[in-house]
Amino acid sequence: MERVVVSMQDPDQGVKTRSQRLFITVIPHTAAGGDVVAWLIRKYCISEEEALHLGTLLVQHGYLYSLREPRSLVLRPDDTPYRFQTPYFWTSTVWPAAELDYAIYLTKKNIRKQGALVGHEKEHYDQLHRKINHTWDLVVMQAREQLRAAKQRRKGDRLVIACQEQTYWLVNRPPPGVPSVLEQGPERSSCTAGGVQMTKNTEFYKQEMERCRKALTRARVKSSVCLEAYLKFSSQRGPHDPMMSGCLPSNPWVTDDDSYWTFNAPSVAVPTKLRVERWAFSFQELLEDPVGRGHFMDFLGTEFSAENLSFWEACEGLRHGEQAQVRAAVDAIYQQFLAPGAARWVNIDSRTMERTLEGLRQPHRYVLDEAQLHIYMLMKKVEDSRCKADTVTW
Amino acid sequence: MAREECKALLDALNKATACYHQLVLTVGGSADSQNLREELQKTRRKAQELAVATRAQLTAALRDRGLGAEERAEFERLWVAFSGCLDLLEADMRRALALGTAFPLHAPRRPLVRTGVAGGSAGVAARALSVRSLPHEAEGNFDVDDLRELEHEILQVSEMIQEMEMKVNVPRWTVQARQTAGAELLSSASVRVSSVGAVSVQERTGPCDPNKALAATVFSAVLLAAVALAVCVAKLS
Repeated sequence: MERVVVSMQDPDQGVKTRSQRLFITVIPHTAAGGDVVAWLIRKYCISEEEALHLGTLLVQHGYLYSLREPRSLVLRPDDTPYRFQTPYFWTSTVWPAAELDYAIYLTKKNIRKQGALVGHEKEHYDQLHRKINHTWDLVVMQAREQLRAAKQRRKGDRLVIACQEQTYWLVNRPPPGVPSVLEQGPERSSCTAGGVQMTKNTEFYKQEMERCRKALTRARVKSSVCLEAYLKFSSQRGPHDPMMSGCLPSNPWVTDDDSYWTFNAPSVAVPTKLRVERWAFSFQELLEDPVGRGHFMDFLGTEFSAENLSFWEACEGLRHGEQAQVRAAVDAIYQQFLAPGAARWVNIDSRTMERTLEGLRQPHRYVLDEAQLHIYMLMKKVEDSRCKADTVTW
Repeated sequence: MAREECKALLDALNKATACYHQLVLTVGGSADSQNLREELQKTRRKAQELAVATRAQLTAALRDRGLGAEERAEFERLWVAFSGCLDLLEADMRRALALGTAFPLHAPRRPLVRTGVAGGSAGVAARALSVRSLPHEAEGNFDVDDLRELEHEILQVSEMIQEMEMKVNVPRWTVQARQTAGAELLSSASVRVSSVGAVSVQERTGPCDPNKALAATVFSAVLLAAVALAVCVAKLS
């Protein structure tokens, strides 16, 4: 925003300014709201609505202030006069407004208005007096001296500087009800405003204790580990993301050519190179991709252990299938894979088999989860040791 | 007496800091000029001298072990005010450095912001230095050299603040300020009521300030009386 304001100052191409006439004093450098909007439209080639919005943002952040209604921070696209704020008071993150400065400003205002501070300013004044009581001598001394020093200036300059300071504090310490532009966003204010006050009885405290106890035992991962994993994921997947690294042959949404979709269809005869690379990332990738799964099935067939993958697929079908068919599906799987002497018997260790058989008495969707996991791990080991080299060179 | 001297030095430093603040407000704006930068330099040098002198006095006083409890409390109060003042001065100096670098006076492509402040600020600087008027003798590229010196001076001031914190141990929370809320309203006649009229900036086409009206009527009454007397004298003679 500061660059926009500085480019507005160009004597040839900036915003045109006129002088403001008060009773006897003439103060230069006022710009009409309409001129500002027109300049924004011309310079950045934007629509009027956008220029108005940008201008309002400038006023809300304190780079421009209205001379007629300093408290309303909007830009009106008509003759309303505005003036630029001095760079000392520009909104800056390096020097946020300090409490001591605010106290000095309020004290000066108190002196000027002879004690008639109103509303939120009075509250702030009392609050600050309590908070920074130890430096209150300094506050009073500085306030008096600053007023005396300001008297050495001309009347017009004094008026302008007073306006500038008022605008600065309107932006940095807005009156209640006015949203502060320097805050993070609506979430912050809503959580304090709409909080439901629960009755603080024993029930409430019991719940709190339970919640805290559970929170203590929750497993936590160190952020360094998380971030490393995140980085690894991003660097590994980066080239595969069509948004980040572009997609070949072309983005169908842009060029209306949907060859990208045909090449990457779920069941295609020849998978793309990128797709095959993805299978090497993890076993889950391989299983999820139908083409990959098909290849893996063929490979297991050569090793005479295809029933593992079939069992796994049947379990997946059970988990994601209809509720009404659960019983029948469980029976079918048992007959085909788990019964002693079954046609396609899978090799599960005894402990898991015992537990599964017990669970089969009350079959539900997830009763075969342990067995499925066991088979999955088995297949994964096979995959890791032998198949990886083959698929990568494929 | 040591306390009075300290108080006088602190008042002078306070005055210099306030004037420096007033001057820094206009850096980068339409009133920025070589003269302003020169005034800034003179004001801050004076403020630094005063700061060094006050620090020496206050440190000597606080190090004195044979001080009564009341006297000690008094000096601690002065110390807190002094360090606050020095913090304000340092913050203003840093801002002046940043603004001075961002708005160099002689660069063709960086115009100054048209803020509407047009007059000179010689009076403010003269007040800080307690002189009647201030001659301006700066040459050509004054602001560029000045910025370099300003950097050094900022470092000096921050070192001074650090040293102060290390050497003298005055816990802030034990100091009770003497002024109460609203104490500034009981001040002397040096803050005149006419400054009330300086605040409002709405365009006024109607009646003027009541004090100005009163002064105008008194003046015109005196003028009429003088004219009447002159006419009488002319008639008599």
